[in-house]
Amino acid sequence: MLEVRSARKVFYRGQPDEKVALDNLNLTLATGEFGVVIGSNGAGKSSMLNAISGSLVLDSGKILINGADVTSMPVHKRAARLARVFQDPMRGTAASMTVAENMLLAELRAKSRTFRPGLNAGRLAEYRERLSVLGLGLENRLDTKVELLSGGQRQSLSLIMAVSDRPDVLLLDEHTAALDPRTADIVMQATIRTVSSLKLTTLMVTHNMQHAVDFGDRVIMLDAGKVKLEIAGEEKKNVTVVDLIGHFSVKTDRMLLAS
Amino acid sequence: MGFIETTLSSFVSLIPVTLAQSLILSFVVLGIMIPFRMLSFPDLTSEGAFPLGGSVCGVLMIAGSSPVVAIAGALLAGFVAGCCTAFIHLRFRIHTLLAGILVMTMLYSVNLRIMGRSNLSVFGNTTVFDWVPGLQGGFPASKIVVAGIVVLAVFCLLYFYFKTEKGTAMRAVGSNPDMAEAQGINVWAATIGGIGLAGAFSATGGALMVQSQGFADVNMGIGVLINGLAALMIGEAITGKQTVLRQLLAPFVGAIVYYQLVSLCLAAGMPPPDLKLATGLFVLIMLALPSIKRGRGPAAAKETFRE
Repeated sequence: MLEVRSARKVFYRGQPDEKVALDNLNLTLATGEFGVVIGSNGAGKSSMLNAISGSLVLDSGKILINGADVTSMPVHKRAARLARVFQDPMRGTAASMTVAENMLLAELRAKSRTFRPGLNAGRLAEYRERLSVLGLGLENRLDTKVELLSGGQRQSLSLIMAVSDRPDVLLLDEHTAALDPRTADIVMQATIRTVSSLKLTTLMVTHNMQHAVDFGDRVIMLDAGKVKLEIAGEEKKNVTVVDLIGHFSVKTDRMLLAS
Repeated sequence: MGFIETTLSSFVSLIPVTLAQSLILSFVVLGIMIPFRMLSFPDLTSEGAFPLGGSVCGVLMIAGSSPVVAIAGALLAGFVAGCCTAFIHLRFRIHTLLAGILVMTMLYSVNLRIMGRSNLSVFGNTTVFDWVPGLQGGFPASKIVVAGIVVLAVFCLLYFYFKTEKGTAMRAVGSNPDMAEAQGINVWAATIGGIGLAGAFSATGGALMVQSQGFADVNMGIGVLINGLAALMIGEAITGKQTVLRQLLAPFVGAIVYYQLVSLCLAAGMPPPDLKLATGLFVLIMLALPSIKRGRGPAAAKETFRE
């Protein structure tokens, strides 16, 4: 379970360009629930995700994961409970290291690292199996450096890495936005498969309204650092792209076209 | 013909001395490679850590401690110096190069304070090079044996380490610090530990150098960084850097080849004062080569270093 309690963050406090990024934001995601976060640029989506992952320090408020207060935990300590896939495929993987080494890093996310050799036959076999789920042939490229993979392959690898140790919370930060439509679709399908089979507590930020309609148990719309609207249950099942866009405070045709 | 013959004969006669020297200085090259390549942290501390190791070793030897204890002391001092550079960068967000320059400059005074004067003779004290059975201490053969064994041991240990879970994590910090942090790796600890390790190697090189040459000098670090960089680049040109093994071989291969090249230049009659200019030009060319090859077009994906 993920709880965000009256989270507040102000950038440039006291300066002319003061910006309230999070305005006493409250959000609760039950264990196993899949929340989809939408909102216009500057609504606070990224700030919220950064606050949850620990890279943004809140002015006030609390973040709880499975009831444990992680507000003052640095990023690398939170990583034991939480995994994140970034929008930029370059950010989620270590480019100059091999696919297998990246998988190893992900496997050790919540464990203490030892002076024992990292990669062994057992682990390699396990990685091969996990990567074969994607159907991208990554299982045969364990010794390839990640920088030689395409954006879609890197992002798929990031996803497999993120879910490899069943994190308590999975954060997806527009993780298909930088991919071409076909690859985006492959990554999205893989996401849905793994999230539902592992029943992960997931928070996905997206600008793709069709994704917001098709996937997830609940749509959470942010505006000016607050939750403006939540759609769940039956209502979520019947919601359409046009409905969602109707809730944006600034409506443009471009948003409709983009979806 | 006469020129080539004299050049070759003096070069060949210098090979053992140069080899001993290059094995000792390969520790400095290692102390430059680890920050640059494993941690993406361009670090200049070695220019100060090298004489620091020498000073500490010299003072300890004069105080009567065994040569191994003197090296251990130097290693520890170098580790602390490296940690300082990394801490200054991380805590105050000062550019890595500037942090290195600051520490290096401050170390000059520290080294003078440690020694009490600008140079210190340890001639006549027992050194690690005196312990080789069957060989007379002080000659290149014993230095090659001792330094060679230490180099081999360090190489094997490091190769093993960078393949362990901890070592893989440290390499991840160099490859992508954001990603490393998101994978639960303590970037501060890995950086401070890694740069400290590099400083420890540079200082060990200084300590071995002092025992080899019989004196410590506060100015012995001048130019050691650019020499090390040149050696590293030669090494990487020979071994490549695609795998951990190749990357780790590069400093040792590079040091040996580089100092033989220098010796060849000197044997050919190159005036020693020109050496630093030549080395600097060499490093410049090696660094500029990718950009020259590419022409003036848009910059390709270049290596990213932490700032």
